[in-house]
Amino acid sequence: MKTTTKVLSAIMALSVCASMTACGGTSSSSGSTTTAAPADTQAAADTTTAAADTAAADTEAAAETEAAAETPAGNAEISISWWGGDARHEATQKAIDAFTAKNPNVKVNVSFGAWSGWEEAMSTSFYAGTAPDVNQINWNWIENYGANGATFLDLNTVADHFDLSQYSDAALQSCTMFGELQAIPVSMTGRIFYWNKTTFEKAGIDTPKSLADLKAAGQTFKEKLGDEYYPLAAGEYDRMILMVYYLESVYGKPWVENGALNYTPEEIQKGMEFLNDLEDSHVIPTCATILGDGADSLDKNPKWMNGTYAGIFEWDSSASKFNSALEEGQELIVGDYFSDFGDSKGGFSKVSLAFAISENTPNAAVCADLLNFLLNDDEGASIMSSERGIPLSANALKVCTDNNLLDPMVSEANKKVLSWVSFPLDAKFEDAKLKNNPDGVYYDAIGGLSYDEYTPGDAALVLYDGINAVLNS
Amino acid sequence: MANKPSDTLQGRPGKFTLFYRRNLGFLFILLWLVGFLVFRLYPFLSSLVYSFSNFHLFNGIQQWGLMNYQEIFSDKKIMNSLGITFKYSFITVPLKLAFALFIAYILNYKIKGVNFFRTAYYIPSILGGSVAIAVLWKALFRDQGLVNAIIRIFGGEGANWLADPKYALFIISLLRVWQFGSAMVLFLAALKGVPADLYEAATIDGASKIRQFWSITVPMITPIIFYNLVTQLCQAFQEFNGPFIITQGGPRNATTLFSLLIYNRAFKSYEMGMASAMAWVLFVIVMVLSLIAFMSQKYWVYYGDEKG
Repeated sequence: MKTTTKVLSAIMALSVCASMTACGGTSSSSGSTTTAAPADTQAAADTTTAAADTAAADTEAAAETEAAAETPAGNAEISISWWGGDARHEATQKAIDAFTAKNPNVKVNVSFGAWSGWEEAMSTSFYAGTAPDVNQINWNWIENYGANGATFLDLNTVADHFDLSQYSDAALQSCTMFGELQAIPVSMTGRIFYWNKTTFEKAGIDTPKSLADLKAAGQTFKEKLGDEYYPLAAGEYDRMILMVYYLESVYGKPWVENGALNYTPEEIQKGMEFLNDLEDSHVIPTCATILGDGADSLDKNPKWMNGTYAGIFEWDSSASKFNSALEEGQELIVGDYFSDFGDSKGGFSKVSLAFAISENTPNAAVCADLLNFLLNDDEGASIMSSERGIPLSANALKVCTDNNLLDPMVSEANKKVLSWVSFPLDAKFEDAKLKNNPDGVYYDAIGGLSYDEYTPGDAALVLYDGINAVLNS
Repeated sequence: MANKPSDTLQGRPGKFTLFYRRNLGFLFILLWLVGFLVFRLYPFLSSLVYSFSNFHLFNGIQQWGLMNYQEIFSDKKIMNSLGITFKYSFITVPLKLAFALFIAYILNYKIKGVNFFRTAYYIPSILGGSVAIAVLWKALFRDQGLVNAIIRIFGGEGANWLADPKYALFIISLLRVWQFGSAMVLFLAALKGVPADLYEAATIDGASKIRQFWSITVPMITPIIFYNLVTQLCQAFQEFNGPFIITQGGPRNATTLFSLLIYNRAFKSYEMGMASAMAWVLFVIVMVLSLIAFMSQKYWVYYGDEKG
């Protein structure tokens, strides 16, 4: 019995090993979904030996990529992923249908969903090498998941299939890391004020044009509309960005420069006092009040929907989301930056979204063709319009502008942002250890301040130490 | 070839047949066994190995040693989370068991429509783990929610249940306590098993109902109390859904249970080594508490087959 058990155990162990090997095999070939591509790739490799002379062909992997880049766009099956709302899903799906109609030999598999939990799912698939061929990514994913260039394809290698000339050097530079163009930026975005004009009219005042107006509005709201009404609502992370805008305006220097925090604890304390002042002046509700509303985000908060909270400091690309959440009869307008914050034009813009191609895709050329259609082509760009913000692609912008396809509010907000903000954003600004709710440094410092657990000085020190720890890690 | 079943003569099975008969059971469980080895045992052991490294999902491993365990016991946030988990478990488990026993005791009486009540009380246990119920819980306890609305009808002010660190953990506990159905069903079965003649004898002797409960009912159902205690304790220490969906660990980390912190470290910060170490600390805690419960049972758990 003992012997048979041993034999059986060995068989089982072997079967486990076999199944694991099978898993490994599946994993490594999961991106290889093209039916005819291998033959094409081989043919392409044979006929385009010149490609091997390029600098990118130093390694075997790079050589494979080079060969793939020359693969004709035919008989291929590729996959693409993105997150967003229904409008974005519909537009993207329609644009992909238009691409496959023009390229009947290409099959595009799509996977999309809401943002919640999306990053966790994508990050693990990047690690496992099972991510789709084309992926919508956040700008900081390049640094977080780029694995020194091993995750995303250098898009310079598919420049024959994707028109890079549609983008400014600065835009391309923003997605260049490890000496490679890791992704194509779709649009730029920054935070700006939006005001519910209807609530301000109800209070009998104009929407704020300055900090003084805003603080006066806080008192007017309290007296005329009631304690529940606030001219501005901001969660912990919103407050952090607002504070950086304020401090950059006051001190005229970027938040982080050359990988180091550019502000002293005393300077940050001034920012914390500014936030405290906004709460004390009945401009913004406490963090506890917003949390007690029980909404996942401000656009889903009933108090935003019915105008009790009459302002936000949000990404320009979020305008339509917040506007559509308002109840009927409420009018949302784009605000102006406050010039009485300080002598400088504070605030920053960043790449809103980007598209990247997986390094291990066997159909790099086809992926690049798809991206070119979605982002640069007349037809693709007109379908995608401003679903991912105001396009950075010159041709896409022209097509959308000529055909009046841009959301007017998004367009207005984007123009105001790009003409105002003057400071860069460090990629680590959105690091998980800083931005995590509720154990991130931002939430600890700013939440602690709002809950009166920290004095402005304490909160400044928590933020200062926490950011330095992340920057130095 | 001589061992083939067809070759056996005089009805004596060959070696192959014997091997086949003896191990047929293994074949039936092979699929489960492979699943267990690959998806349970392998991650279980590999997490132990990783717990001694600084394995980061995207930066790999640069260091081996005890640094994760040192950090766990010196990091204020982690220790705070551990404290909250103990607090949560010690609120939830006794409340849940007491409530389940109380309802089971009532339902043990022959009352009209008892089957309906039993079903109704069991339903939360089926629904309880779902995301929808957690979302509903959040809606009930928000500032403008039903609970505050009822309190305000009676002239009270209500409370900021989800945003006040004083109340938030209790609200999360309440969700788990509300799912008392499975414990209740076990208690009900145990109560049915208590011999009626014990109660009759006690009644003749003049014992009150309360005295009967403490002197007959409770001792007789101690095996089920013990079983419920151990399983509920294990569940409570691993609680994740409630705080993840309702409060995300807030306000001010008041509901950041240990499992939530493990998830954040693993899938938001990608510190797999640290997350593995934290998971092992949690495992050891649950194991030690279970061991204490098992060792203590000889002092308070009554099994009918025991002598004396």
